[in-house]
Amino acid sequence: MIAFLQPLALLGLAAAAIPAILHFLAKRVPPTVWFPAVRYLEDTEREQSRRLKLRHLLLLILRTALIVCVVLAAARPVADVGLGSAHPPTALGLVVDNSLSSAAIVEGRRVLDRIVEKALEVIGKLAEQDQLWVVTADGVVRRTGRLEALELVRALDPLPRRLDLGQAVRLLDRVVSAAPLAEREIVVLSDLQRTAWSAGDTAGARVLLWRPAVRAVNRSVDSARSEPSVWTSHGEVVVALGGNSEIPAAVRLEMNGREIARSVARAGDRLVMSVTPTRRGWQAGVVRTDPDELRLDDDWYLAVRVAEPAEVTVESGAGRYVAEALEVLGEGGRVRLGGGVIVSDRVAGTRTVVFPPSDGALVGNLNRQLAARGLTLRVGERIEGEWRAEGEGLAGVQSEAAGGWITVKKRHRLSGGEAVLARAGGEPWMVREGGVILIGSRLEEDWTDLPVSAWFVPFLDVLVNRLAAGEVRVVNASPGEAVRLPPGAVRAVGPNGAVEGDAEGAITAPVEPGVYFFVGAAGDTAGALQVNHDSRESRLDPVDARVVRGTLGTRARLVGDRALSRELFGGAARADLTLPFLLLALALAAVELIVASLGTRQTAGKE
Amino acid sequence: MTSNLARPDLFDPYEVAQLGGLELVAWGVVEGFLAGLHRSPYRGFSVEFAEHRSYQPGDELRYIDWRVLARSDRLFVKQYEEETNLRAMIVLDASRSMDWSGAERRLTKLEYAKRLAAALGLILLRQRDATGLIGFDEEVRSVVPARSRTRHWWTLAAALDAIRPGGGTAAAPALRRVTDLLRRRGLVIFISDLLFDQHLALLALQYLRHRGHEVAVFHVMDPVELTLEGQPEARFEDPESGAAVVARPRELRAAYSERVQRAIQNWRAACRSGGIAYHHVTTDTPFGYVLRKATSRHARV
Repeated sequence: MIAFLQPLALLGLAAAAIPAILHFLAKRVPPTVWFPAVRYLEDTEREQSRRLKLRHLLLLILRTALIVCVVLAAARPVADVGLGSAHPPTALGLVVDNSLSSAAIVEGRRVLDRIVEKALEVIGKLAEQDQLWVVTADGVVRRTGRLEALELVRALDPLPRRLDLGQAVRLLDRVVSAAPLAEREIVVLSDLQRTAWSAGDTAGARVLLWRPAVRAVNRSVDSARSEPSVWTSHGEVVVALGGNSEIPAAVRLEMNGREIARSVARAGDRLVMSVTPTRRGWQAGVVRTDPDELRLDDDWYLAVRVAEPAEVTVESGAGRYVAEALEVLGEGGRVRLGGGVIVSDRVAGTRTVVFPPSDGALVGNLNRQLAARGLTLRVGERIEGEWRAEGEGLAGVQSEAAGGWITVKKRHRLSGGEAVLARAGGEPWMVREGGVILIGSRLEEDWTDLPVSAWFVPFLDVLVNRLAAGEVRVVNASPGEAVRLPPGAVRAVGPNGAVEGDAEGAITAPVEPGVYFFVGAAGDTAGALQVNHDSRESRLDPVDARVVRGTLGTRARLVGDRALSRELFGGAARADLTLPFLLLALALAAVELIVASLGTRQTAGKE
Repeated sequence: MTSNLARPDLFDPYEVAQLGGLELVAWGVVEGFLAGLHRSPYRGFSVEFAEHRSYQPGDELRYIDWRVLARSDRLFVKQYEEETNLRAMIVLDASRSMDWSGAERRLTKLEYAKRLAAALGLILLRQRDATGLIGFDEEVRSVVPARSRTRHWWTLAAALDAIRPGGGTAAAPALRRVTDLLRRRGLVIFISDLLFDQHLALLALQYLRHRGHEVAVFHVMDPVELTLEGQPEARFEDPESGAAVVARPRELRAAYSERVQRAIQNWRAACRSGGIAYHHVTTDTPFGYVLRKATSRHARV
């Protein structure tokens, strides 16, 4: 089997038509000359016509074949010459992709099985002096011998996590480049998803990328989140479906093992499922869609906290805008007026939202109240300008997509506190310490445009329900990802057991997708960890050669089954046919020259 | 070189033709040719032996046949046929194929043939042979009856000068016409490029031969017709018949040359078997060479 390393050069085969075209052009009527002895010429032409036709045909064939040979040589033809050919000692990096997407079942067989089969074939060709490093979906580079590698690969199962192939190749490139061997090569055996390639340095080693010649159709749950983050009388789950399937599928929401909502959607749809919770407290849910060829991305786990509406007391110092907005929230059942969180321009109660007093002379009094509560929070000088407010505390309230940003025109400088929830002009604007949230501006129109904007009411909803009444800490992670435990939590507890935090308060997200609750030392729930697949693994479209070259450099090549066998170990199993084709072209040129000059030599001899 | 300056018969025919009209050129050629004869061992115009007769007083002693005297002891004198008894007819092919030259500085076949005919006519008339002319193409175009007067040459020359290239070639009628004009045995000089049916022409020539005439054929060719030169590829068209062939000279040159030589050999062999003198002449050959070849092969000329 012959393949070509420069297949674009084969376009030059069109030039093979040149001799034939010239032949037909030569059929034009030539200039007429008078010649009385035409009768002798006629006789001669009649006698010689058969020989001349044969000669012309032979020349046409020779010239066409000559051009074809030159073009084929330019395309750098190579041929398989069998397996087991000797090769120089090679440092081989092998990426065996058992990421989530490898679990796809196509034509009754897992993609991973095909990848493993090819990996065993590659490992089987290793020689004694070669060195091997293997990377799988866990991202760990393993230096192994041939037998260990065979066992490792045979034991592989799809992991519900993402493998960044670009990163894996770069890791291996560093490793093999340091090896004291003559040749360095990296082989990537993967479904080569387009989404699996991060940008970075190009590879110095030769990279061969192989993928099974199959393609799966997939539909996935790309995300599901609860709205709002804390449900009171009702809530919603916003679901996004992805993939390349055209077929609509059922989407079901299950809470506590019971289906509570259902819908139908296609890949690419975004749907909202309304829920009326019946229980209070933390609950684990899952959004499921119909099974398809790739099962590992058909579920999305989410945690929901259902709580009573926050109780809020508004003091006159908070301003009229705040009072009216909380009344609206009270009418909507999002808050209950009276007791609970106090919203004021002074520190009152254990959970308070404090704004600077309108009278600047009272700022000192406020600072004394804060100090008296043992807080480090302080209100500084008042400044005017125009700043954009942004930060975690405003998440879900404002965004560029929502049409704009909160503008702050007047604010006090803030200092101290445990956490900065929002900043204006790069300086703290909303700060929390204990149960106190201090905002640098009064929520009035000459301080900020927030009170007259559409997101003022949602902002207060978040402020009192999530920030002041108790933070809902929900952390999203992919399997195996490092996660920092929230304050007060010591472990994450899931259906398959608990994951203890380390000394630095971090855990590794479990490999098994699901909802894991952060639990404190006293057994209280401090938040939830949602472990789900990476939606990029659900995109099964393969990468193309252009992207590969752009990511890894020009030494990276996409290869098929035969090309991999041929190109492996620097093309040890490959015979370069360029020279034979050139020699053949040379021989054809010589024959052409002889045939073309045959008539002339005959003439000279006879004359 | 010096001698050649006085020998226009040895000049390049084209160069000689530039010296003047047909008459002047033929005259100069013949003068040079005859002058050359005196310096050669060739004895030239021997008269033809006719019969013996008894010696009569007054006969020149040089004509006594001494061999017969030795054998029979009787005096006989050799009697020769007088030159004026010969009647010659020059038959000139003036077809369109004759009006062609393969090079710019070369006479066409017809121009060459006309000058050759004039020179031959002058030589014959110098011997007091009655000489006539028939010019033909597809039919007989001009006829000059044979006369032996010296001034007749001017008539011949004018007739030759007046001959213009015609259309096709029909040699047989012209040769048959010769039999009407030559009642007695004579000499027929046939000048042509022989680009016509060989079989018919040979029949006519052999018919003349059977009638007792001596026949000499001058086969005139341009050198290019021997070798096939020209452009890499061309459509070769016969100006006379209109037949055309597209050919590449480089590819066919050898075979063509072989074919032409074969045709010449065929003519030569056919003429020889019929007792006909055959002379192949190319238009770049000096007239003197042709005349010498002709006179060496044929006593009458």
